[in-house]
This record gives sequence, C-alpha cells and structure tokens, in this order.
Amino acid sequence: MFGKYGLNEEIKEDGVEIKIEGKEKIKRYYRKAGGDEIEKIVSAESGNLYVVPVEPVNLPKLGVAEHLMIEFEKPYIIEPSIEDTFYLKFPIEVGVFLVDRKDVERIDIFTMTKQKYTLYGSPEQGIICRWWKSDIYRDKPEVEKLHEGIMRVDIKNSYREWVEVKKMVFRAFDMKIFYNGHAYMHAYVNILKKTMAETAFNSRKPKNMEASIDIYEAKGIKKLEKKFVMEWGL
Amino acid sequence: MNLEAEISKMLNHEVMKGVTLLDIFIFAVIIVVAVIIAKIVRLNIRRALKEKVPKTTLVAIEKLVYYTIIVIGFIVAIPYIGFSLSGLLVAGGIAGIVIGLATQTVVSNLISGLFLMAEKPIQIGDGVSIGDVGGVVKDIRVLSTTIRTWDGIYVRLPNEKVFTSNIYNYNAHAARRFEYKVGIAYKSDADKAIEVIKNLLEEHPLILKNPAPQIFVEELADSSVNLLVKIWAPSSEWYGVKTEMLWKIKVALEKAGIEIPFPQLVIWKGEEA
Repeated sequence: MFGKYGLNEEIKEDGVEIKIEGKEKIKRYYRKAGGDEIEKIVSAESGNLYVVPVEPVNLPKLGVAEHLMIEFEKPYIIEPSIEDTFYLKFPIEVGVFLVDRKDVERIDIFTMTKQKYTLYGSPEQGIICRWWKSDIYRDKPEVEKLHEGIMRVDIKNSYREWVEVKKMVFRAFDMKIFYNGHAYMHAYVNILKKTMAETAFNSRKPKNMEASIDIYEAKGIKKLEKKFVMEWGL
Repeated sequence: MNLEAEISKMLNHEVMKGVTLLDIFIFAVIIVVAVIIAKIVRLNIRRALKEKVPKTTLVAIEKLVYYTIIVIGFIVAIPYIGFSLSGLLVAGGIAGIVIGLATQTVVSNLISGLFLMAEKPIQIGDGVSIGDVGGVVKDIRVLSTTIRTWDGIYVRLPNEKVFTSNIYNYNAHAARRFEYKVGIAYKSDADKAIEVIKNLLEEHPLILKNPAPQIFVEELADSSVNLLVKIWAPSSEWYGVKTEMLWKIKVALEKAGIEIPFPQLVIWKGEEA
C-alpha cells in the first residue's frame, strides 16, 4: 500500500481503496477505508500520488494533540546505568499526498485504528496525547500494516537507581517515519530520574526503507528542537 | 600652555547670558548619551518581549520607554543652557496635575494592560468569561482587550475592567471536566447502566482515557435513580463532546433495555376503616 503511484492508478488493499479517476485535467479522488468514504475533485495534469504512514495525531481533528503516549501492557523495569533495546507497536495514520516538482499537498488522512486521547501530567500543566497500548517485544513484532507500525526503542537508564517505566511519550514533531511494507520508527529514550526521561528519534534512513513525507516539513515548519522531556512520570 | 589657555578661554566664552560654550557642549553630550541609552534600552526591550507581547503593543512600549528616557535626559540637560528647572517644574507640575486628572483612566488602562501582558491570565484565542462578558479573546492591546462573544458580537473591554474582574479562562488548562445527571427507573439495573455508559464513553476518541470518566449512583430521587457521569475532555473540544454525548447515552441506555422514567407519583387510595 505505501509508496508512490501515478495519478490514474487504483490501489486496493486490506479493505482500503484509493483511486483518482478521469483522463481530463479535472479528476475525482475517491477513498474508502472501513466504513469511511471520501471524495474530492482534483485538478492536475502531472505529479504523483504518495500513500505513506504519517504521525498519528491528525485524527479525528488536527490540533487536539501533538504527542503520542504508548502505555505498556506490563511495566518495564531497568537496572541503573545500562542500555537496552526493544520494540513497540505504534498506531499509524495514512496520509495521501499529491506531489509535483514544486509542492507537496496533503489531500487526505485516514486511519484504521481506534483513536483515543489521554492526558499526560496534571490538568493544569499536562498535555493531551494520542493514547496507545503496546506490549514490549524483544524482536520485531508482526504488525497489521495499515493499522500499526514498529518502533525500535533504544533505552538508556542514566539514573543511579532502578527505574520502572509504564509509558513513553513522544512528540509528533520529532517523529521520523520510514516504511517499506510497514511503518517504522527508531526512538531513543534516556532516563534522567525516576520520573523523568528524554525521548527523541533517529532520523537516519534504514536500509531498504523509504522516508515518509513529514507533515510538518510539508507545511513548511522547520524542526529545531529534537527532544521531548517527559517530566510528569514514566 | 598657550593652547590650553586658548581652549579654556574659548570654552568659557559666553554665547548667551550665563551660558558658555562648555555648557552647550555638556548639554549636547547629555542629549546624545540619553539618545544612545534610549536606543540600547529599546533594543533590549524588543529582544526581551518580542515573543511575549503582540507587535503593536511592543511598538507602543518601545516608544513610551524611548521618549521617557529622552525627556529625562532633556530635563537633566536643560539647566546648562540657561533655563530654570524650577520654573519648568512649577509649570510642568500644574500641567501634570491637569493632564493627570484628564488621563487618569487612560493611564489606569495602560498600567492594567501592561500587568495583563506580564501576568498572562488570558491569551489570544482563549475562551473566557470576564465579568458578564463571555467569548473568545481576539486581541489584547495596551489599553483594551477585544472579545468576540459566543454569539459573534464584538466587545471592547477597557483593560482596567479586565484586570479587576473575575476571569474564567476555559482554555488555560489542557483538559476540563463536565458532567451529566442521568436518571434511570428504580426497576432498572444500575450496574448494567453504568457498564453501558462506560463502554459508550470508551468508544469516543476525545473522552480522555486518563483522567478516566467516573459514573456512579449519586441520588435515590423521587422518580428515578440518578447516575452522575463525569467526563474529562481536551479543553479545546469539551463543548462539542458535551453536546454530542447526552443523547448518545440516552439511546444506548434504551437500546440496553434500561428505562429513563418520567417524573411520577404513586397514589395509594385509602380504605375505609
């Protein structure tokens, strides 16, 4: 499903149907995902259609949250001053973009996953996050490609005591999503205190994978800060 | 020695009555120094407040501080060119009282505006209630704050009123809670009703996972068992969620066979002794 398509190609996979119809300049964009359908009129002669995984914070409404919280099925306890690697599943939203030489335009975003939001921190100071629950996997887990992606987490406990981690919060702004068959991210987590950690992402493209279209960069927003500090508990 | 004497003579040469060339030079130096200080202060104010206050307000603050410093420099320098400060002060004092009385409200609004910008109880785009006015903050200026009321009316509030009123800011925190009271029939199963509502709320993306919704029997009322449903939602979305969910709760309860009763009164007809 993920990748680059011509303007007259029809894509059908796992209950999702995407197509742009019409030989003239005025075309019809149609997408069906689950029970959700959408149609738009597109005026285009050239360019390509990209269907890629995007940061999972755009639905049901953009601007509600800018962070993703992944809660663990079981708490994870890490020894002082060690590093570890594991995998999580994260929810994905699928972005459909029209791309030509000059510009990238997002024309549609949909998701096949259940959406739920939560509060990280207190109502006074906290932030709204997209919520997701995942097991911790030692090896890359199997995922439903249009529902979830795989996140590699390199975790380091820089604190002098054992630390229990029940959740991780990532800023969508920092995310760097890649794909081949499935979506993939590589996160770094550095535990600073019992209740505080830094989360960041590796932006280097893994072998045999393509970089997804970054929604923020497509909107012309320059990324400066690269780390998010979880300061209201782990 | 001759050169020094010449310079000294030149500097002490009276250009006007009681005003030497040296006095004029000192006057000029004080004015130049005041302008330089004013420019440095203006630059620092611009750097410090650039991200914190709106551009129009920043320009007003910059100008106020800039000209205040220059006026202070001018007051310090003016005695050197033969003007008596005492006369100026008397005239300035009287003028000050008159201007002060005339501009009391303006100054009060200005000071309140500066405090509002520093304290930031409201920001542009926030949903607020200030005194008896409720709406969305459209602009915060030095003298006034403009609100678009919930029904779309433009209201300009003087900053003094904003500063001295009770302010309710609905967007200051990330999340807020709202609640419904739902009455079910005495014969209905309250545990089942709670389960039905809980499942319904779980399905809604914008009803927060944490803090979790609370649903419990609050009251055994005259005609119904009243359940209280407390829901947390993002502050920016709570109103939409609130308007959506009550009817959905009613439909879900009815679908599960739980009755929502009308007010009722049971009358016992007495028997004759």
